[in-house]
This record gives sequence, structure tokens and C-alpha cells, in this order.
Amino acid sequence: MSKDNHELIQTMFPPDGSGVKPYEWMINPTRQRQWIDKQGIFLWLAFFFTEIGAGLYFVSMFYEYKAGLVLGWLIALFLGGLIHVAYLGNPLRAWRMIMRPNTSELSRGIWVIGAFAALGFLQMVTSGGFNIVFNVIMAILCLIIISHGFTTMNVIRALPAWSSNMVLPFSIVSGVWVGQQILQLMFAITGSADLVSGMEVWAEIFFFAYFLCLVLYGWGTWHANEIGQASIKMMVNDELKIITLIGVLGLAIVLPLIFTLIMWGGQTNGFVIFLRLASIFAGDLAVRYIIMKSAVYKPLLERN
Amino acid sequence: MPRWGMVIDVKRCIACWGCTIACKEEHFLPPGVFWNRVLIGERGKYPSSSKLIYPILCNHCSDAACVEACPTGATYVREDGIVAIDDEKCVGCRACLVSCPYQQRTYYDKEVKDREYFPGQGKTEMELIGEKLYPFTLGTVIKCNFCTERLEDGMKKGQTPGVDEDATPACVNMCPVDARVFGDLDDPNSKINRMIMEHKGKQLRPEFGTEPAVYYID
Amino acid sequence: MTYKTDEIWEDKWVNTTCGVCYCGCAAKVRVVNGVPVKVEGINDSTMGGTGAGLCGKGSAGLMYYHDPNRIKKPLLRTNPEKGIGVDPKWKEIEWDEALDIISTKMKKIMEDDPNKILFTNQTMRASDGPHNHPYFYAQAFGVKNNGNFIIGGGSLHCGNACHMLGGLIHGAWSIAPDWRYTKYVLKWGSSKGTGSGHSAMTNARLRADAVRRGIKEVVFDPMGNFAGGKATEWVGILPGTDTAVGLAIANYICNIRGEMDILYLKAKTNFPYLIKDDGTYIRNKETDNPVIFDSREGKVKDYNDETLAWEDCALEGEYEYDGEKVTPCFVPFKEHLKQYTIEWASEVSTVPVGTILQVCKDWVDNAQIGSTITLEGKTYPYRPVSSVTFRGSQGHSNGIHQVAAIDLMSQLVGAEDVPGGTLGWPAIRRAYPGGNYEQTCTAGKDGVIVPSVFYSHDPWPVHAPSLPATNMGCVDIWTHCTLSHIPYVDEIDYIHEKFGMKSKPEMIFGISANFVISNSDWDTAVKNFKDCFVVQMGLWVNETDQAIGDLILPDVSYLEKDCWSSEIDAFFFSGSPSHEDWYVHMQQPVAKPIGESRFFMDVYIDVANRCGVLDKFNAKLNDYYGVEDPELQIKPGEVLTWKEIGERFLKWVYGKDTDKIQKQGYATWHKPIEDVYWRWDIDTRCPVYMEYLLHDRRGMEGIFEQTGFDAEGLEFDFNQFTPLPSWFWPESHKDLDDEFDLLAFSYRDILHTNNTTFQNPYIDEISKMCPYTFTITLNTTMAEERDLKDGDIIWIETKAGVKENGIVKTMEAQSPKVIGIAGQGGLWADGRPIAKGKGANFCKLLPSKLKYFDPVAGNMETAVAVKIYKD
Repeated sequence: MSKDNHELIQTMFPPDGSGVKPYEWMINPTRQRQWIDKQGIFLWLAFFFTEIGAGLYFVSMFYEYKAGLVLGWLIALFLGGLIHVAYLGNPLRAWRMIMRPNTSELSRGIWVIGAFAALGFLQMVTSGGFNIVFNVIMAILCLIIISHGFTTMNVIRALPAWSSNMVLPFSIVSGVWVGQQILQLMFAITGSADLVSGMEVWAEIFFFAYFLCLVLYGWGTWHANEIGQASIKMMVNDELKIITLIGVLGLAIVLPLIFTLIMWGGQTNGFVIFLRLASIFAGDLAVRYIIMKSAVYKPLLERN
Repeated sequence: MPRWGMVIDVKRCIACWGCTIACKEEHFLPPGVFWNRVLIGERGKYPSSSKLIYPILCNHCSDAACVEACPTGATYVREDGIVAIDDEKCVGCRACLVSCPYQQRTYYDKEVKDREYFPGQGKTEMELIGEKLYPFTLGTVIKCNFCTERLEDGMKKGQTPGVDEDATPACVNMCPVDARVFGDLDDPNSKINRMIMEHKGKQLRPEFGTEPAVYYID
Repeated sequence: MTYKTDEIWEDKWVNTTCGVCYCGCAAKVRVVNGVPVKVEGINDSTMGGTGAGLCGKGSAGLMYYHDPNRIKKPLLRTNPEKGIGVDPKWKEIEWDEALDIISTKMKKIMEDDPNKILFTNQTMRASDGPHNHPYFYAQAFGVKNNGNFIIGGGSLHCGNACHMLGGLIHGAWSIAPDWRYTKYVLKWGSSKGTGSGHSAMTNARLRADAVRRGIKEVVFDPMGNFAGGKATEWVGILPGTDTAVGLAIANYICNIRGEMDILYLKAKTNFPYLIKDDGTYIRNKETDNPVIFDSREGKVKDYNDETLAWEDCALEGEYEYDGEKVTPCFVPFKEHLKQYTIEWASEVSTVPVGTILQVCKDWVDNAQIGSTITLEGKTYPYRPVSSVTFRGSQGHSNGIHQVAAIDLMSQLVGAEDVPGGTLGWPAIRRAYPGGNYEQTCTAGKDGVIVPSVFYSHDPWPVHAPSLPATNMGCVDIWTHCTLSHIPYVDEIDYIHEKFGMKSKPEMIFGISANFVISNSDWDTAVKNFKDCFVVQMGLWVNETDQAIGDLILPDVSYLEKDCWSSEIDAFFFSGSPSHEDWYVHMQQPVAKPIGESRFFMDVYIDVANRCGVLDKFNAKLNDYYGVEDPELQIKPGEVLTWKEIGERFLKWVYGKDTDKIQKQGYATWHKPIEDVYWRWDIDTRCPVYMEYLLHDRRGMEGIFEQTGFDAEGLEFDFNQFTPLPSWFWPESHKDLDDEFDLLAFSYRDILHTNNTTFQNPYIDEISKMCPYTFTITLNTTMAEERDLKDGDIIWIETKAGVKENGIVKTMEAQSPKVIGIAGQGGLWADGRPIAKGKGANFCKLLPSKLKYFDPVAGNMETAVAVKIYKD
């Protein structure tokens, strides 16, 4: 019988999913729960979909590929946006979130999403949509949206694990990487073999950039402060260990690496591309999950 | 305009939890929701270790992380320094909750509302009265309000918060060892300012830069 | 947030008295639409904490009213089989039938021998109803003395030695430092001022002020938690070894430093009393008084001779009296202390030599022997040092010597009932101005104080051990037990047989006591009590009820109770300590009784009436409250409710202000300073030299010999019957070996009162937020050495094979040789689902053999040698 399932523990400290005994709350590093546990899981999905949607949109612009734009736009707004709204306690009041762009990262995000929605729609319906001005504006908006979730997390002083300098580079690379892979698969399905093969160079670059950012993120967090260390420890211990091993190491790194090596030099294969996308899709979700799940607050008692 | 603040005398506190329960009763808080708590820890090594007891509540920071994070303006600092939540404006995004380094906020949803003090045995009359007397709005965030209602009602009657029982936060009244003092931080002659000066009052985790209005002395 | 007041037709506050622990703090309850919703203290009463302060469990008391698990009708057992784990198969019955069953049984037993009826009381009741009344209620039925009482609540763990010496020295139930004027406080296994003990919140308030003033507080305790965690200095000590340190300090004062309050010793102790070789007093043959050598006149006089000046009482020297060589008992006393060196004490207790030495020095330095202080125009000796103990240190098989040794250091510097020293709860209770109830203590035989009122058993004068035993507790033989330990002793049948105990209990008429799980080994308790017809009045079906109860009656909680008498008689117990104005609070109902629950006093009256003893009980009530006005007395044949009795008696107690006080719910009035610092005004002497124990020993030895009682086989330690506070190893230490290598001890958690508080959901959720309340504490390093960490489930096992499990929580501030368990957890009654499964039960680990009890006072050895291992 595992420790936490023991009848005594169940009676005295009913599990609330926090993994923290009530008497350890804010005495030991205490996990944030609002943005990952219970309905908080919506936020994890919302951030992911918004960002990969924007990523897909972003990459599609380079190929002037409207289907990619449309899909990216839809994923970002409808999957990402709606899940965001579903997460809110009072969704009908969501409009109020535009009120504080000067201080609130969330509020700024709403403005950016709004601009992305409107301008993106214009770009999609306008025949000469891919002009340089449009592209530059949309690219900037996309990059802001891709990094929005992590920026929101990054500015929270109370959670030092998200304060690492590597948060932003990592989030941008991750959004673009997944977006690029969706696009590659779309091309693979629509039969543009040359395009698919040509994209593989970028896939290799993005994969290694992603890998590098991930390592730097971990390294940076570990060295940022002791709270960061507590987060990293949490990632490799206890219940998160399996997700870290299978999700992060396996799906986000090892499998994509193998698939990338298989297709090295442009030997692309639609099925392998699909497998790689599925793998990084799940892998990136796992990465985001453990990053959100392992963020801990600094204890309030000075015990040294 | 005063700026309300509190001094907690850790030396006096015996960790009886009177503040915590008084607060629960004052605001009819459901199980698992605390606007006042006592943190208990230890420092040092045997045999010269010491017990740490810190009663905590919302710090009513003047540079509050929650206010900064709120996208709607529902959370704001009042003129009297109290960090308040307008439940009409709160969308329930919980950015404030995640942002608060002191973790003093609770998201009030159906699951919280439905909790029973006697699980599976229905709500008690007290819990039902509480829902009438002190209702919370589903899908919003709640937290300590320095007993705003008591302060305002009391002042309307000409009473002084921190002096008159009816105009003073419930936790301050309940403290059996006078470990809590409430008063005006902007008044240099107020009792709490004198205590902060005399005993070198400290804020909890000042490094977060939020400028708490709750000071600790020991 | 909106503050809605529509739909609210009533919102008022009702003054009453808190009933969550035995302290009875002032409380007021907010009632909205007839529903109690909040409890606070009362600002205008000094009883309890600062202003409207009340402690956490006090404010949580609200839940006793709201608990849906409260019993609402009498419950009768239908399953004749009894025991832990057996379903009693309760059946709800009507009150009339229940009372009929009780009175029929009682009448039948009374015809035979009323001493076959046992009564219970529990410390929860102190504030939660009239406290002393169960004792004389029992008398109305013909029950002779305190041997028929079995105790729940704090159980036998609490008090026997403390109360005995509290009574003999202070004429009071308990002691506390004079926080207002003290400078240096030693606490030994006591949490006075930090949340426990009598008048807990009043003391906490006074202590907080003292601490702010800068007093030094040194706490000797196996753990640095409630008392130790707040102390200026926490000193880790092994349970039951306080005597060693206490005696070493006394030796330092007496023989090394040699600075004592000589006048105090001459005037206020029995140290000048002359003794013979055998240690007993020389007595004046005519007056039977002990005698003192008058050093000025060079002759022997009665201790109370009017011509004997205090300063002339000889403390030293050897004299001749009636052809015998005699000395003041101080001489051997002083000599006796010499063996207790600091180094030795350090070895026994694990307290470092340097720490003990520092305490010795600080004690004498702070005692300011010779200094005086003028308060309210009166000048008193000023001794700002206080040494106090309670449940922790006294709960051992050497309990009497623990308390005596801890008291001794105060005696030597004269710090008893003077400003800054150790105070008893008031020994004197002044009447309310214009009212009548007044109690004053007197000087009894040998100059020892006789308390004006005491619970269950008067500490003085002591009766001689006699045969046969007439009650379950055999207090005929064990004469010092405040409440007897014998009912819980495993060898009870043997003891009863040897001492000719004929009154084998047949019935228990009890008040929500949980004595099966709150004393020692549960199996012994079940075995000893299961053959009785057990009637209990309580709020829930508790563990005792479920195991052995036959008929459970629903009682009201303090929130529904109309109890005018709450604290009138409790002045020496939970009244205003120290120089606090007098306060007496009553309980006023804030809501209607739950279901068909009835206040136990009214049930008492009903049962007494049915049994034909109501007139006797009423006469005792008239007497107890000293009601002289015939108009106000209860007359023969009258059947009054408790409330109706109150309407008369309160007029006697409060005179013309009765209406005002009843309306207000409490009374406060001035306490003159001479009632606080009475030591030098009342002509009594502290029996520091416990001469009476020699006589007890003789008496008991005689009885044992006569009856062939196998004292040796039962390891009954007669050596503890010595007049000199001495070191005896507690039984738990003797059991330590390589396998059973740890001492388990228990302690009071600020949130809990015995086990009722475990059923309170407010307290329950807060207990989970406390690191130590529901867990088993181990020293961090010791736990690491044993490969244990926070959250592990461990088993604790005793030599008797009793086991309990719990969750590990490590803490630095705990001696590495002990494990700590708070309160009375580990509960299992189905009637209390919130309490069920919380914490660990310590009591069951305690062995119930006679040798584990203090042979003098009957304290239980509340430490036990255990081994621990992972689940």
C-alpha cells in the first residue's frame, strides 16, 4: 500500500490533490494549484492551444499558406480562447478583462488576442493579405501570443520557478516548433513533398533549439534560487517523475530525436511526420504540465 | 484618510487559533477556507531549536501583487488601504490568487460552497444562516477584508476601529492575549505605529516588495 | 461582498460561560434567527482573555450545538454482549421509560448497599455545569466517599499529586505564577499561561503581559511545543525526572549557596517541628500538638503557642524532650538533600550540568530574599520567582515526590502566596457585596491549611488507612487519592478480595465520561466495568458508551444550558487567579435544547426524586450554598428544577443585585489584596516535611500484613512513604531496555480538551493544520537514525503487547529518547464520525498494573517504555 493511501493518512489528511499536508502549507515550498489542478487544467490546455495555434499561423505566413492561417487562427481562438473562457469563474464577464492592460498581463493578452483575431481575419479574407506590413504586424502579434502564457507566469514574483530568463525563449521556440510540425503534416497530407522535405531542415533546427531551451530552462531554474531547485526536484520526484520520464524525456525529446534522425537530410515520410507531431504534441503538453505543476511558493517562515 | 494596518505580537501569541475560528464564524467561511491562519514551524537544531508561530492573514499590501494581476480591476486598494474585491467585477480568472506571495485568497466555486462541516450530513443551521447573512458570489475570489463591514458600521456609530470592539476586526477582538493590535498606519501617534517603532516591527517577506500593512513584532 | 440583512428577524448577543474546557471563560454568543452563529469573550469581564478574547477551541464551541450526531433521545443497549468492537444495537426509548429503568435499578441496589453505585464526573463539567454537585449527589444516595468516583475527562493522568499538595500548601486545587509581579518562572510539565491549566485564558493574558514586561520563563519539558515553544528557554528533560533537578536546585539553595528565607521557613513551614529518631513529630501529650524549640527562651513549645515568636523557632540544633533526642525536622531534611548533586541530577534527567547550575543561580538571584513590596498600602515580602508544575511532571509513579520537589525550591526562598511567587487559586472567597456565599480556609491539625471547599477528597486532615475497603476505589486504604486509581488497576479483584471489599459495583451513573479509553489499557477498563449497568448522560455516544454503556441519555450542551451555578463554587479551581477582581459567570441558554436532550442536573433531580432521596439532596444543596434564609431554602417535599433552585439561591448569593446579575449573566467585584497574598496573614504552616506519610505507611503496612496482601509480588513501593522529598525512578524508566528503548509521553494540545474536541469540525480542520496535534512526534535526528521520516506510519508497542499506530512528524525540539502524542486521539466511536480515526491514542499504551501508580497519591505513570517500528 502506498504511503499516501494508508487509511490513517486518508482519515487525517484527506488528499486535496496538493500533495501537501495541511501543516506544511507555506511552511515548506508549497505548490501552486489554481492554474493546474481541478479546473486549472483548462488553463494548461488553453495556453497550449493558443500558443500552438499562433505558432502555426506564424509559420504558415512564411509559406503564405492560407489553410495553415485558418487552422492556426481557429485553434488559437476557438480551442485556446474558448477553453480560456471556460476556465473563468464568470465567463459572461470575460469582457471585463480588457480593463487593466497597464498592470495586468492577462488584460494585455486579451487586447493582443483581440487584435490577432481581427487582423488575422482580415489577412485571411483579404486577397493580398500576405503583404509585408500585414506579415510583420501579424508575426509580432503571433510571437506575443505564443509567449503570452509563459509571460503571464513569468511575471508572478511569488513563483520563482517561473521567473527564469529562459522561460520566454523556451515558450516561443515551443510554440513555433509545434506549429511548424503541424504545418509540415498539413503539407504532407496535401502532397507537397518538396515542401515537406524542405521544411525538415527547419524541423531539425527547431527541434534542437527546443531541446536546448528546455535544458537551459531546467538549468536556469535550478540555479535561480532554492525555490527553483525545489521545483526541479519536484519534477523528478514522486508523482511527477513518471510524467517527466515518459512525457518530457520520452515524448518531447527522445522519440522526436529518433524520428528526426530517421528523416535526417530531408528523407521525409508522412507517417513519421505524423508520429513525430503526435509525440511532440503530447511531449510539449507534458513539459507545460510539469512546469505548471511544479511551481512552488516560497515558504513564509524564515527558518534559517 | 487612515491607512488601516495591524501589528501582530508574536511574543504574546500562544497559537490558540482564536483568530482563525473567530474569522470563520464572523464571515461564515466554509470548511477549508481560511482568512486567518497560524503557521507553525521550527528553527534551529536540537537542543537549541525554537518554535516559530506566525499568525497570517491578508497583508493588505499597498503595492499588492493581486491588484497588479487583476485584469478587471475587481481587486483594488481602497483609500483606507484595505485591499478589496468587487465581486460584481471579478471574472474568476484567479490571476490574483496565483500572484499572491502570501496565498491569502480562495476561489469560491460550487465545490467550496457545497462543502459541509459535517460531511454527508447536510448543512447545519449556522451554515444556512451564513449563506443568507454573508453570501459569496460563485466563481469569484474571496479573502480577508479586515472586517470592512465592522469598521464601516462602527465608524458610522462614531466608534474608532482598533479601540471599540464593534468597529474592530473580529480576529483582533478574539485574541485572548492581546497579540493583535489594529489601527491607522498613517497616524504617527497611533498605537500600532508606536509598537512598530518601539519593537522594530517587520513585514512578512518584505522581499516581495508588496508593502504589507501587517507588521510583526517579537 | 454584500452584507445582506434581509430575512434576518433576530440578531442578538447572549452572555454565558464557555463550556469547552474546564476553565469557564466569559463568553457571549451571537444568535441570529434563533441560531447560535458566533462565540466571543465578554469585553467587560476580566474572566478569560484580553477584552472580548477567547481561545480557538472556545470560539469553536458553537459546533457542539450544531453537531447532527448529537443524541436526541435516550438509547438503550439491546445487545447484552459488551466490549470494544461489539455493536450495542441501540434502541431509542422514551425518557420516562429510561428514568424508570434507572430508578428501579438504583432503588434495588440501595436496599442492598448504595456503595455499589458508581458515579462519574469529568473535568469538562467544571465550567460546563455545577462541578462539585455529583459528589454530594452521590452522598444523597448513601455513598460514603470519593472511592465511588471514576473519572473521565483529564482522567487519572491529571492531578492527584498536584491537587493533594495544592490543597496542603495553598488550600487550592492548582497553582500558577503571580504573573503580575514575578520575574523568573520555572515550569515543569505545565503549560500554565500558554493555553492549558486552570483559568487558562486569564493566565494566558497575564502571562503575555509578563512576557512583554521581560520576565524570564524556563520550561522543563520533554518537548518544546506549547509551553517550551514559547519559553525564554526550553530545557529538554526526560519524563518523570523533574524531581532530580528540583532536588538538586533545593540542595544548591540549602547547602551550597545557603541563601534561604529563614524567617519564612521558621514561620510558614513545619521545618521547626521537632521529630524523633523515627521521623515522627514529638507531640505535646496534652494538646497533641507538634512542638517547636523556642531558641530565645530555650524551651519547647506548642507550634501554635502564642508566646512563640516566628524568629525564635529553631531550625537547627539537637534537643532533649521527654528524655528523647529530638531535632527540628529541617535538620535531617537539609542533610538528606546533600546527596542530590547537580552532576547526579544531570545524569538522571539529561539536563546539562551548566543549565541546572544557571537555573540554580538565577533562581536565588531573582528571589530577592529579604526584599519587600508595597501594594495597595500593604507591605509584603517580594519573591519574584515561581516554580509551577501540573499534569506533565506529576503524572508519574513518583508523582508525589515530583510535586514536592518542585514546590520545595519555592518554599526555601519563601515564594509562596506572596507577590511575585507561586499562588494558589484563591483560598478565600469573599461574598459578593450585599450577598452571602463566603468561604474561608482555616488552620487545621498541626497547623496545616484546610481548604474551604475542595473536590471529592479533602486533602487535610488525612484519615488513617482502615479495613475493610468499602468502595471500588478502596480509598479506605489509599487515603490520599483525590480520585482513586484502583478502579483501573488490573489486579482489582485481588485487591478487593484481600481488603474485604463487599460493595462490588453494579451500576454506574455517569456524566459523559469516557473512562474506558482515557485512562490506561482499554482492555482492563472494559474488564473492570463491563459487568456494571452503565448509564451515561452525554452529547454523543462515545467510546465508553459504545463499549460498555447500557443506557445513554441525551444531555444539553453548554449552549442550551440554564446553569446559574456554574462557577459560584469553583473559586479555588477556575475563579479569578492572582490579583484579578472576582468574577462569576453563569450559563444562560442561547438556544433551545437539541431533540429531547435534558440538562443533567434536572435529570439528577428527577432520578433522586424517583429514588426517594431528593430531600436529602436538597438539604445538601441548602447546606453547600449555606442558605440560611428559610424563604430561600429548599423545603422538604419540594421538587424544583435546577433553574427554580437558582432563582432562590442566587438571591442568597447576590442579594439585591440578583436581577441585575442574572440579566448580565455574570458578576464581578473587588478582590482585596490581602485575599491574594494571604500567606502571612493566615496562621498556617506548609507541611513540607511530609510527616503524615510515615503514619500512612505504618497503617498500610499493618493492613497489608493483616490481610496477607502480597505487596512485594505486586511491587508496591512503600519507600515512597517518606517525609523527605526523594528521588525514585518512575516505573516507565525501569522498563527501558535495548528493545523497548523509548519513553512515550502525552501532552495537552491547546486545541483540545480531553477527547470531546476531536468531534468538533472547526477544531478538526485546524488540528490538521498543526504539525503535531494529530501526529506522533519524534526528534528529527533520532528519526533519521531509525530511518523514519515525516508521514511514515509507525507502530508503537509496549512490553504488555499493546499497540497503537500513527503518523510520524519529526521535530527538533524534543528529547531524542522520547516520543510524544497529543491528547486523547485514536478514537473509534461510531457516534462521533468527525473524531473517528484522528490522532493516536496514548492512554491505551499505559499499563494498568498496580506498580505503575504512585503508591501515595494514585497518579498513573503517564510515560511508558515502547518500541517503534514502521508499518
